[in-house]
Amino acid sequence: MSTNHRRSIAARIAAPAALVGVVAVFGFVAFSSGSAQADTTTTVPVTESTVAGAQPGTVQAVPTAVTAEPSASATAKADSAPNQSGIYYTDLPAAFIKPGQALFATNCSSCHGGEANGKAGVAPNLQGLGAGTVDFWVSTGRMPLANTSVQAIRKPPRFDRIQTLEIAAYVQSLTPGQGTQVPVVRTAGADLENGNTLFTLNCAACHTISGAGDALAEGAYAPSLHLATPTQVVEAIRSGPGNMPHFGPGNITDTQARDIAAYVTGVLQHPDNAGGAGLGGIGPVGEGFVGLLIGVGLLMLVCFWIGDRA
Amino acid sequence: MIDKSLNWIDDRLGVAKGGRSFLDKIFPDHWSFMLGEIALYSFVVLLGTGVFLTLYYVPSAHEIVYHGSYVPLRGQKVSEAYASTVGLSFDVRSGLLMRQAHHWAADIFLGAIAVHMARVFFTGAFRKPRELNWVVGVTMLILGIVNGFLGYSLPDDLVSGTGIRIAYSIIESIPLVGSYVGFFLFGGNYPGTGVIIPRFFIIHVLIVPAILVGLLAAHLGLLVKQKHTQFPGKGKTEKNVVGSPMFPTFMAKTTGFLFMTAAVIFGLGGFAQINPIWQFGQYEPYQISYAVQPDWYMGWLDGALRIMPSWEWVGFGHTIPLEVFLPAVIFPGLIFNILLVWPLIEWYKTKDSNYHNLLDRPRDRPKRTAAGVAMLTLLFAVFFASSTDVMANFFQLPLMDVLWFFRFFVPLAPIVAYFIAFKICHEMRDAENIGQRKRALIVSRTTEGEYVTTASAPRPGDSHEELEAIPVPTFIDTTDPELATAAGVRRVIR
Amino acid sequence: MSDDKPSPLPPATLDDPHLQPATKHPQRMQNLAILAMVIGMVGFVAFIVVYWINASNQWEAGTLALGMLGLGVGTIAWGKYLMPQGPFVEERHDFHSSEPERAAFNAAITGRGGLEVKRRGLLLGVFGVAGGIMTLAFLVPGIRSLGPKPAKSDDNQGSTDDSLFTTNWKKGARLTTVDGRQVMVDDLEVGGVLTVFPRGYEGSSPDQVILIRLAQLGPNDPPYPIAPPGKTSFGVQGYVAYSKLCTHLGCPVGLYQERTQQLVCPCHQSIFNVNAGAIPEFGPAPRPLPQLPITVDATGQMRANGGFDQAVGPGFWERP
Repeated sequence: MSTNHRRSIAARIAAPAALVGVVAVFGFVAFSSGSAQADTTTTVPVTESTVAGAQPGTVQAVPTAVTAEPSASATAKADSAPNQSGIYYTDLPAAFIKPGQALFATNCSSCHGGEANGKAGVAPNLQGLGAGTVDFWVSTGRMPLANTSVQAIRKPPRFDRIQTLEIAAYVQSLTPGQGTQVPVVRTAGADLENGNTLFTLNCAACHTISGAGDALAEGAYAPSLHLATPTQVVEAIRSGPGNMPHFGPGNITDTQARDIAAYVTGVLQHPDNAGGAGLGGIGPVGEGFVGLLIGVGLLMLVCFWIGDRA
Repeated sequence: MIDKSLNWIDDRLGVAKGGRSFLDKIFPDHWSFMLGEIALYSFVVLLGTGVFLTLYYVPSAHEIVYHGSYVPLRGQKVSEAYASTVGLSFDVRSGLLMRQAHHWAADIFLGAIAVHMARVFFTGAFRKPRELNWVVGVTMLILGIVNGFLGYSLPDDLVSGTGIRIAYSIIESIPLVGSYVGFFLFGGNYPGTGVIIPRFFIIHVLIVPAILVGLLAAHLGLLVKQKHTQFPGKGKTEKNVVGSPMFPTFMAKTTGFLFMTAAVIFGLGGFAQINPIWQFGQYEPYQISYAVQPDWYMGWLDGALRIMPSWEWVGFGHTIPLEVFLPAVIFPGLIFNILLVWPLIEWYKTKDSNYHNLLDRPRDRPKRTAAGVAMLTLLFAVFFASSTDVMANFFQLPLMDVLWFFRFFVPLAPIVAYFIAFKICHEMRDAENIGQRKRALIVSRTTEGEYVTTASAPRPGDSHEELEAIPVPTFIDTTDPELATAAGVRRVIR
Repeated sequence: MSDDKPSPLPPATLDDPHLQPATKHPQRMQNLAILAMVIGMVGFVAFIVVYWINASNQWEAGTLALGMLGLGVGTIAWGKYLMPQGPFVEERHDFHSSEPERAAFNAAITGRGGLEVKRRGLLLGVFGVAGGIMTLAFLVPGIRSLGPKPAKSDDNQGSTDDSLFTTNWKKGARLTTVDGRQVMVDDLEVGGVLTVFPRGYEGSSPDQVILIRLAQLGPNDPPYPIAPPGKTSFGVQGYVAYSKLCTHLGCPVGLYQERTQQLVCPCHQSIFNVNAGAIPEFGPAPRPLPQLPITVDATGQMRANGGFDQAVGPGFWERP
């Protein structure tokens, strides 16, 4: 078989095979796409179309966030009565303070000081920030932090839920009554449309409309929201970690914060990618790559098949 | 039966003579001559899917309450344009497929024009007598870009609405007339009285496509009249065209290509999502998302806007916002004008008024090739500059550093690319046996220990046996008594 | 397409190499073509079925693409492997006309006519001018009717859309959120940020203002210092308000970085220093965001203490 003949066989198999292969890959990706599963209290179906069982499924990733909300019934005492806002704040049990102090001494005091009052240039003063703030930083794994020169990133948390709350309880006990409390967030019955509107107005400018996150000035960045739990969303709204603004109750009420949390965890983390692979949720940048490399690229392969070489 | 039908038509239209020469037309077979067809057939898909979309889309900025099937939007006040596009996506069967296929077809249409234009440029196919066709083509590129922008702005969603705001400010930045043109187009100060959506709509579905169809007809008509160019080769001269005949071969292949283009477009339309506008939400001029870029064919303008320093000229009671006017008006104006008059520029430099029906190898025209590479590098650099924030986030780099990098990269990279391309062209021309099939090298060792290579003899089948080209036969004699059977031709082939 | 016909060629015979299929296995290729087209048929039928049962977008696209792919591969295989590839040749005839033909054409244009030919220049000139003015006459309504002229001040029948120079912010205007809620002085915590409008103009694009609380200060505390080009007196009790329209291209500058106290425009990453009158520190924006003077009235409601002292938003020719 001449080289020429071999090449033409290869070419007339390669191009259609490549085409089918790419279509298959896309199908696989589309059917398995979806963000990592976060622990949500409810997953709200976002589209009520009667599509016959062909919706893209979601990949069940190992939840890197904590798997249990602070159980109100078992250990916590409701501070304010559960109301229509869907959020109520807990006082952490006093029994948490002593083990919290021990954990703090071992893991946190080297940077934050024995009384959590911080060290200049190293770590901020935690007094007055409240249990909710501490819970946010520790439960997202941002703390403990090894390298203080760059913005802390979300990592698998070092402590389990109870330990995290113990540390939070200890820090809260240093300045009782001050700062953000740990919220208990019930997303069931949330107004998703309200959450959508509020998210777009208040959050999308930094976190992007799809919650993918993006780079900010001075080396900071707004993180992706795809792994956040409802508790963490509300804690972040109230405590304004890092460069995030502080949204107090006079700006975003409890109901509104609950709606935002429900929207983030229910809709943004399970986007209705009815159109196919989400391409990263960063809009036209991904589309451009796909359109040119795959779209025009595949068709150029077909040109190769149909036509001659010079 | 066929005879009778053809006679009926010819009695009334007299098409047999012209029709015969049309069917005999020869098309050269090189693969790169088919790139324009990608654009042509994606345009066909655009028209088809576009008609479908116009039957459902409502071009109105009038606000209604959304009651469709996407729950997080229910109860929200949205424009009819937005609601109808979300409705197309969720409540019209195959609506989302058509919408996405339309969008992918547009992306591929413009991408194909870019590669086709590059092929025409680098092979010098724009020279006499085809300068007019080049101008027609560049005009179609410009109109295609404009129509793409208008099209993805029609859903009135947050991301494309931001683009409209930016477009308004760019118009506003034009000295003397900017604010007038902006007010006229939008019906007032931004966002205007809501007329921009219906105006964009009619320009997008009627005015520009009508012009495009006309230009396309001219483009193809000129191609038919002037015949296609071809690469030099055995039997190919300035005075002929060698290849396969229009009927049946080329028609079959090109029809197949139409289906392949449609296959790729519809494949992407189902498996790769575009513009999830239900997630973006209705456009409000006081809302914004981060990581917003225009579609790729406008990305080069966005990149230019990002890297431009903040020079604004203020004096004599007037302002010229150079940081907008230069990158968004002057820069694309320069690029498109250079493209349009390139045949003139080349004629000016080469003083060559001959007919050119044979193409150049890019390496044989190092200056033109290097200039083209430099232009492409500039456009790529400024295109990547539009995703600075996404890049900074992805590569975990500070935002300002990425921007400063592009501020230097965009002007310097084309210069470096020019010299590299120029050098490569010369090196390729100086290479031995360039363009010929490679021979195997036999490595032998002398007794002194030196290694010596010699080229092997050509292998059988290596030399590209080409037949002598003949004119398309008028008749084919199928009556050979040795070969004729009831099955006719098929027996011969077997 | 030439007029001069060469003498008719003798018919080619079927065994002419130019007519042979371009493959050693024409029967196989024919089968491939047929198989591909049958797969295409299956794809299209499947598409109709998938549509009927309302399956997802992916199924619709997969079946339709399969159908197209089948037809495409089938026809291409048919054309490439079974049909005659040639090579065939076609002559290019000069399509430009001969010299006598050109001369005759030119003569018809320039020479046909008697007395009129001599007067033609003048007549054509006059016609041309008239035609030009006619074009202008059509362009005038075509362009001018599109929209209003940009007005210098906001006095066009109460419409707020027509002025590039003024907004609806006036002394005493109440700061209101987009859903109509009055902003009170205690609403924001330190580091809080809010989008506000003048009462009655919620959602109006030129009026959008971003309100930021930089410090918790009481009415009797010394004011929060804002460096020039900002004005300390324009703030109140630690609040500061700037136009949210970016001075580059008008995107809403909604991104507030609390630690570094910078506003970043998400469109092209202009960075504004909130402590210094929103002066642009980096990026393409040319001018600081105009600052809105604000105050707190006796009942704790936040109000504007005047309008903007300059035009908001991007630059334009008439901007002084």
